[in-house]
Amino acid sequence: MSARFRRYILTKLVWYLVALLAAVSLNFFLPRVIPGNPVDTIMAHFLQSGGQGAAAGKMYQAFIAQFGLERPLWGQFLTYLGDIAHGSLGQSFSLFPAHVTTLIGQAAPWTIALQLPAILIGWILGNLLGALAAFKRGAFDRNLFVTALAFSSIPYYALAIVLLYVFAVVLPIFPASGGYAFGTIPNLSWSFIFDALSHYLLPFLSLVVIAIGGQAVGMRSMAIYELGSDYVNYATSLGVSDRRVLGYVFRNAMLPQITGLALSLGTLVGGALITEIVFSYPGVGTLLFNAINANDYPLIQGITLIIIVAVLLANFLVDMAYGYIDPRIRAARSGER
Amino acid sequence: MAKHGLHIRLVTAVTALALAVAGSVAVAQTLPRNQTLYIGGFQWGPPTNFNPLASSPAWPTGGDGSMNLQADGYLYETLFMFNIVDGSYEPLLGKSMSWTTPTQLTVKLQPGSQWQDGQPVTASDVVFSYELGKKFSTSYSGMWDYLASVQAPDPQTVVLNLNPSKPNPGLIEQYVSTVYILPQHIWQAVADKGQSALLQYENFQPVGSGTYKVMSHNPQQVVLQRFDNYWGKDLYGMPAPEYVVHPIFKSNDAGNLALKQGNLDWSQEFVPEVWTIKNAGTWYSQKPYYVPGSIPMLVINLQKPGLDNPLVRRALAYAINYPLIVETAVSNYSAPAKSSLILPTGVESKYFDAQQVEQDGWSYDPAKAKDILENQLHAKKGSDGVYVLPDGTKLSFTVETPYGWTDWMAALQVVSQSAKAVGIDVTTKFPQAPVVTTDVQTGNFDMACWYISGVGPASPWSRFRDMLDSRNVPPVGQNAFWDYNRYSNPKVAPLLDQAGAATSVAAKKAAYAQLDKIFMQDIPGIPLMYRALLFYEFNTSVWTGFPTAANPNHAQPLFNIDVLRSLKAK
Repeated sequence: MSARFRRYILTKLVWYLVALLAAVSLNFFLPRVIPGNPVDTIMAHFLQSGGQGAAAGKMYQAFIAQFGLERPLWGQFLTYLGDIAHGSLGQSFSLFPAHVTTLIGQAAPWTIALQLPAILIGWILGNLLGALAAFKRGAFDRNLFVTALAFSSIPYYALAIVLLYVFAVVLPIFPASGGYAFGTIPNLSWSFIFDALSHYLLPFLSLVVIAIGGQAVGMRSMAIYELGSDYVNYATSLGVSDRRVLGYVFRNAMLPQITGLALSLGTLVGGALITEIVFSYPGVGTLLFNAINANDYPLIQGITLIIIVAVLLANFLVDMAYGYIDPRIRAARSGER
Repeated sequence: MAKHGLHIRLVTAVTALALAVAGSVAVAQTLPRNQTLYIGGFQWGPPTNFNPLASSPAWPTGGDGSMNLQADGYLYETLFMFNIVDGSYEPLLGKSMSWTTPTQLTVKLQPGSQWQDGQPVTASDVVFSYELGKKFSTSYSGMWDYLASVQAPDPQTVVLNLNPSKPNPGLIEQYVSTVYILPQHIWQAVADKGQSALLQYENFQPVGSGTYKVMSHNPQQVVLQRFDNYWGKDLYGMPAPEYVVHPIFKSNDAGNLALKQGNLDWSQEFVPEVWTIKNAGTWYSQKPYYVPGSIPMLVINLQKPGLDNPLVRRALAYAINYPLIVETAVSNYSAPAKSSLILPTGVESKYFDAQQVEQDGWSYDPAKAKDILENQLHAKKGSDGVYVLPDGTKLSFTVETPYGWTDWMAALQVVSQSAKAVGIDVTTKFPQAPVVTTDVQTGNFDMACWYISGVGPASPWSRFRDMLDSRNVPPVGQNAFWDYNRYSNPKVAPLLDQAGAATSVAAKKAAYAQLDKIFMQDIPGIPLMYRALLFYEFNTSVWTGFPTAANPNHAQPLFNIDVLRSLKAK
């Protein structure tokens, strides 16, 4: 590793650190810009029945004090920074007294198990199919392109609702909701794994089919563009083998796709909200949605912080990886133009 | 070697993850369907505590301090259960109650009652539980506005002495039938640590006195198992379901689909056109299907120019198409709303004065609305078809309710259309719930569809209080917890106190009649429809015997233990 490259990494690291600090601060202030007040919401629940006396005012104050909301904003901000430094994300307001880390810890495995395979499989299959279509052309390309385009333009929630309706209502082959059958105590047995998989399939399909479509369309156009470029014509005229040309084409067309992958992996931890709602599937998406609906600042902050870190991390890794995938970038870095 | 080590570590990590996902229980178990009752509609987020004193207790310990306790008698028990249909009290931990003087209520406890850990339930547990509300801010601290002291002269007797300056027996009876009794031998240690510790207490291994114990809980479901050593098994009988599962759905639609598919046996969700579902039933087998239990109210901010004029409010009251609200917004689960704060049916009907409502109130009559606008207010129609008052105030207002509260949103669309039809411009807006909540409490709104007290031992007193009583209500800008319209009238307070203290139906009715007359004259709000306290629908494909109006079996259309005792496996 050259000294220049080390400096390059160091500069990048500093930039990412600055971005992280800015994001962490915004992360504190933005949820507080949402109109409404978390304690009003909790009080509304108690007042639903009406008939509360003067005690309601005392209760309001008790919650304000419990959540530390009576202190000035900068004091709350310092506590927040201190908590983060100690690895604590605080306690949820709307789901008090649960700790934010516990709530995310319960939901995140479901989100990762649902989304990571969907994104990776969608990405790999989509890119292979797209490149193949661009290379083969003809009927294969036409059929695949139209199909992929159709799937990529369906909003993913629409596909989820259609899948639910067809395979869980009209033909009740698959269960309609939940991560596993209600009334089952989770355990490590084959029957439970089979049950969990049968609940997994529809939400998974609703995500992966659309991912494949989107990736294939993107990859196909990139590959067609590359196939028509000068270096391909030049290489072909030199008599370089098809295989080798394809290798170059694939590598060049991959670049934007990799950025896309990194971003989707980064935002993955935010959950697939509509999929979760349609299939009542456990996950981070509904946790965040409900937190926003209840002005639950600590829970919103906790989840968005994790998204921020994941996105920054993914981008950083892409920045690093680009150097190896794209010789032009590597050349620019080490000054050999 | 290194590679091998990594491999083992990886396998360990994967297994640990799988175990974490699986909840670390290693025994295969699916609850037998014919011994399991599936219930839905109370819990929407992860259960985070079973502490009835916390800010968001999970089912079956939740509730909001009114009659809609979510699960009275499952885990924790109240002294009595109030029947919202006939006004009677069913015993639970309490055996009988009687007013020894107009300001002293004596409750006798059931002999032999026990906590699930075998300790006896005594009068001191009751005193302890009630006094928690005095020492700390809890959902039932309000009872101490009306209570002077609670005593336990012997282990089977509880005496409640009312605050002589604010006698309100109905409200005390409401608390006696809605406050869960907690075991002092467990909760004393928590209470000794103070308010914060009490709110923080998760109570994940709850010990109640009821018929079920919490068996397991996770973000997808809460599972209860029958406690066969229940102290009242000979007295009350045991419910048939061995297990009760509350699946945590993420939307009403998912819950309703489960009810249709027979995967949910009993639900309190709003189901449109419930009569179309196979095997489903409700309390009434025909319109309105549910027992009216509350009055969603168009709360009017009396501080706003234009709306501060009672004649404008009266014109609006005549303009609203109440029958259309019933038809389009609430699936015919209501009769068209009457212009009264008293429910015309059920336990409050004894106070409802149909003649007075006919005489002083309003109903859908757009011609009358126009007449008030033109001949009484002398308003002139602008070029946009909206009336302008002689002082230049344009009759143009907003009305709000939370986004996603679909029946109320639809009702407000009707309000908007029918007001426009007579020349009052009413624009709907549907922000997120916390925004509306803050708007309503701080007085930052024109009009809003909001809830006020439902039916209970203290109603309709509490409903009049919610709409008319300006005592302890802060000015606009600070949070009010009733009287959101900021109505103020010196005649109200004495009448309210009189109605609250009255012990005979006739005396109460007389006071309510005057209060209702004030309501109909000054119109600080407009009743839009009637709503069930809790929606109550069941699917009989696995369990039968759900109590209905035809066969109530001492139970009522709520979700208390009395319903469970009637069930039979099909």
